[in-house]
Amino acid sequence: MSDVLKSPADFRTPHFDASAWSLKSYLPAALPVLGALLLLLLRVQLGGAHFIDDGALMMLALACYLTAATFHLLNLYAPSNMAQRLGLWLGSLGVFFNLASWLVRWVASRDREIDIFIRQGKSLTELPWFFRYIPFANLYDLSLAFAFGAGITTMLIAGRKSYRFLGALSLPLAALILVLARFIGDEFINLPPVLDSYWRPIHVGIASLSYGVALVCFAAAVIYLLKDGVKTEAMAIWASIFSLLVIGTIGGRFGSFLIFTTGRYAASTVLRGSRMSFPLRVNIPFVGPLLILAALLLAGTIFFFLRYVYKEDSAGRLWGHRLLRASLVVQLLAIIVLVVQVKTVTQIGPCPAEAHFTTRCFEPSQYEGFGTWLAEQQKLTPEQIKALGPAQMITAAKGFVEQNGSALTLSFNANPVELASLITAVAALFFVILFSFKTEKLRMALPSAEKLDSLMYKTASVAFAGLAMLLITGAIWANESWGRYWGWDSKETGAFVAWLTYGGFLHARISRGLTGRRAAYFAVVAFLLVIFTYLGVSYLLPGLHSYA
Amino acid sequence: MSAIEETKREISVGAPTRTRARVSPLNWLLNLLSSVRFGVMMLVVLAAFSMIGMLVEQQNVEGFERNFANLTPATKLLFGTLGFFDIYHAWYFNLTLLILSLNIVLASIDRFPGAWQYVRRPKFDVQPVWLAKQPSSTTLKLKGESRSAVAQQIAAAAKRVGLKAVITEKGNRTFVFTQKGAWNRLGAYFVHVALLTIFTGGFLTTQFGRTGTMQLRPGTNANQMKEVAYQIVDDQLSPSQVVYPLPFTVECTDIQQKLIKQDGPITADNTIDWLTKINIKDETGTHEALVHLNRPFDYRGYRFFQASFTPLGQARTITLRVTPEQGGEPQDVTIPRDGATTLKDGTHVEFADFYPEFKVGGSKTDTEEGVYNNPAAELKVTPPGGTPTKAYAFNPTMAESAPFAKRPVAGYTWRLVDFEKVPAYHFLSIQHDPGSSVFYLGGAMLALALASVFFFSHQRIWAVVEEAQGADSYEVLLGGNTNRNLFALEDTFKKLTAAITGRPVEVDES
Repeated sequence: MSDVLKSPADFRTPHFDASAWSLKSYLPAALPVLGALLLLLLRVQLGGAHFIDDGALMMLALACYLTAATFHLLNLYAPSNMAQRLGLWLGSLGVFFNLASWLVRWVASRDREIDIFIRQGKSLTELPWFFRYIPFANLYDLSLAFAFGAGITTMLIAGRKSYRFLGALSLPLAALILVLARFIGDEFINLPPVLDSYWRPIHVGIASLSYGVALVCFAAAVIYLLKDGVKTEAMAIWASIFSLLVIGTIGGRFGSFLIFTTGRYAASTVLRGSRMSFPLRVNIPFVGPLLILAALLLAGTIFFFLRYVYKEDSAGRLWGHRLLRASLVVQLLAIIVLVVQVKTVTQIGPCPAEAHFTTRCFEPSQYEGFGTWLAEQQKLTPEQIKALGPAQMITAAKGFVEQNGSALTLSFNANPVELASLITAVAALFFVILFSFKTEKLRMALPSAEKLDSLMYKTASVAFAGLAMLLITGAIWANESWGRYWGWDSKETGAFVAWLTYGGFLHARISRGLTGRRAAYFAVVAFLLVIFTYLGVSYLLPGLHSYA
Repeated sequence: MSAIEETKREISVGAPTRTRARVSPLNWLLNLLSSVRFGVMMLVVLAAFSMIGMLVEQQNVEGFERNFANLTPATKLLFGTLGFFDIYHAWYFNLTLLILSLNIVLASIDRFPGAWQYVRRPKFDVQPVWLAKQPSSTTLKLKGESRSAVAQQIAAAAKRVGLKAVITEKGNRTFVFTQKGAWNRLGAYFVHVALLTIFTGGFLTTQFGRTGTMQLRPGTNANQMKEVAYQIVDDQLSPSQVVYPLPFTVECTDIQQKLIKQDGPITADNTIDWLTKINIKDETGTHEALVHLNRPFDYRGYRFFQASFTPLGQARTITLRVTPEQGGEPQDVTIPRDGATTLKDGTHVEFADFYPEFKVGGSKTDTEEGVYNNPAAELKVTPPGGTPTKAYAFNPTMAESAPFAKRPVAGYTWRLVDFEKVPAYHFLSIQHDPGSSVFYLGGAMLALALASVFFFSHQRIWAVVEEAQGADSYEVLLGGNTNRNLFALEDTFKKLTAAITGRPVEVDES
């Protein structure tokens, strides 16, 4: 029962004007938007030469999101008004920097094309319309907007004090999206002509905001599951499986489990000054063995926690937690080693016959595959490649390496999803470990399961409606551009599957036997599908949406 | 009662309790098909099939041929037999859609009466025990002239916060029933109708829709469109071309490619737009049209789209500097593709062909990447009263370095000083789709229905007024529930409480 009125009231007193209800609760969401618009005006007035660039603003947003999340977490374990307020307003500041970064990028993109026009001697009157430069051209732009969608949704919900805790999970997730953006790289691209449509801001804008709401729904679902009594050990099993899958699938062709079969982690290369990553992978010493060790620890974690969950084995629980923490440390170490080696590389070449395991080089056995890839890039058909034979492919690859060897290098931009996945896996383990600490106290600090369910339902229904609008606007745009409103393209299908899953959640919630925890699983899976649509389709599957 | 419980109750109103005994197979089937749980299962099945289609490359995707060739025979056999290479047209996929549609219809019919009760027969009075358990509830101690007067004041307060109020009396209690958004109970049915409309549109497109392409360059005509269809025969991909006749003829008059960097290649990443000018001829006459990117053209139920281009370098126009062999002022002339001009002395010059990368020896090299490494124009020059002669106009670099390029032809030296880049061909995609308008209608309905469902809710708040101890004192039990959006209910509840008591209440308190 809510406790609105504690003392009797005389009805004959003048009535309260309900229409003048306070808008104060919307300030954490409204202020960053207004601030970012003001910053945009300043950028337009002052020009780009002496103004903070979008990349720096993005990094500030990242820092704010992480700091805000830290204060929110602190408030959950050691409640304090100060920590709660700092968490709220730092989150709000993060949203400001996030949106400002996106808006400044819009203007910078136009400035870039103006420069091209001036260099070409073309009249600026021919400059296309302003909306051509709206930053929805590639995955970096979408990631910025996605993180903003998550941030602004969190701020809108944070208007209610009892839901501010949500930032403890949603803001780190938004920060992970920004980390991925950082790895993707913020280079501007020439807009593919098919994207030069007014449907682009409508369609991609809806996508980014819907994805953002879906992220917050996911955070609410995880917290609901925690509140509902799902054991943190069960969560740890799922987080460990996710980490194992990440370790198993990185370092080579998707699904090849190369780290387990070769014991090495190899990173893709790029040519200096280019964005295209090559499937010519360089061995990164120590990372493979460290990840294998982490995988073994994770396998042990799963084993012991399964014993605990299904057989109530308390020793299993103890050892599971120990191995989980050890795995977190080892994975962190692997990431640090990887980052240091990517940053410090100078020269890349083929591995000599007796290469030391600490040498950063690529295996010559990759020549045939790399040569085939080069031939495919030159639009050679499978028959033509087959006719040329493996020897020709090896020769072509060697020739390419000889010609461009000095420009070959390592870059975060060449392996954005792999790096972001590793960091996400670490973050997942970190949160599970955190939830395992004083779990009951944490559960007590959270609102009731009913209120969390309502929050989950609210966000899922907005995500469902948003994804429906995404599909509809996408269909209209596709009909304008490609001549069909639906073609089962990978991205279309991905969004459709995520939408179906949110539909499943909404219906499971009113279906006997599927309410509560089972419905929450739908919300979790739906967000994973959103992420697969957002990233997996772009990086793993062919289709018409390969640019974003 | 929570929103979940409320909805459960709603379901139980619409779906009477089923007993195991004596259920005929037909009823069992109907019960199954109308169950929400079964609907959720069908959604999962549909999502699983769609995922398979996402992960297994479909035969209509560009590059399928290459990846199909890399599959093992066992994979080809297994996936081919299961229809995974074209899963979205497989019988079981269509059957799933059909069953899901049936489920939507039957479940809606089953539950509609229960939802309709909320609109037609609102529950004016409630038990205080039940009301106290609602998501929002509180007890107020109020002073007033009479029970009825207090109820009137509550109703007035409810009106101020946007709630419709009805006052009823039962025994020694007065009930004030307030609500808003009762129609929201029916929103889900509008969503389902919209989805069925979209499915119908999709069905019409699949059954009666036709799509094809048309290759065009200035001067060409076409009265049919072509589509490539694939079939897997004996583990081999077998493409075949399907030709659809059109009820009109399309004549191309011009194609143009607007580039970002004029000195760059005619690749997609250096392009702002492709434009194709056409004349459509039929029994009603000739109709001019311009088709360009994201700007389709509609005619007689057919829609023309700018689809793609052949990246072989050509010139839309060439500008020649023509210098008389005997000396004199050079003159610049511009000739359109396949066009001609006449010089001052009556020499007729035709623009015969264009070479983006001219090779000495007469062979023509096509530059697939659309680059113009050594452009040259081939001309047909006819002096007054003379015979036609072939001439080449080279770019200034070539003209200066190669002796043969300086050689006069038909009394003139020919220089290619400028040209506008254009691809050899444009491809227009043509669509005849009787399902698209139905699909759009369904999309618009879905947008409206979703907005009405998820951005509004049915909020009900009851006040039970009873006499309390003390002169003019009354106890009011206030409680409410909603079918969705507990946040909004909390806000409304607090506004109502504040309006009743005359005291502002913290919004955040919940």
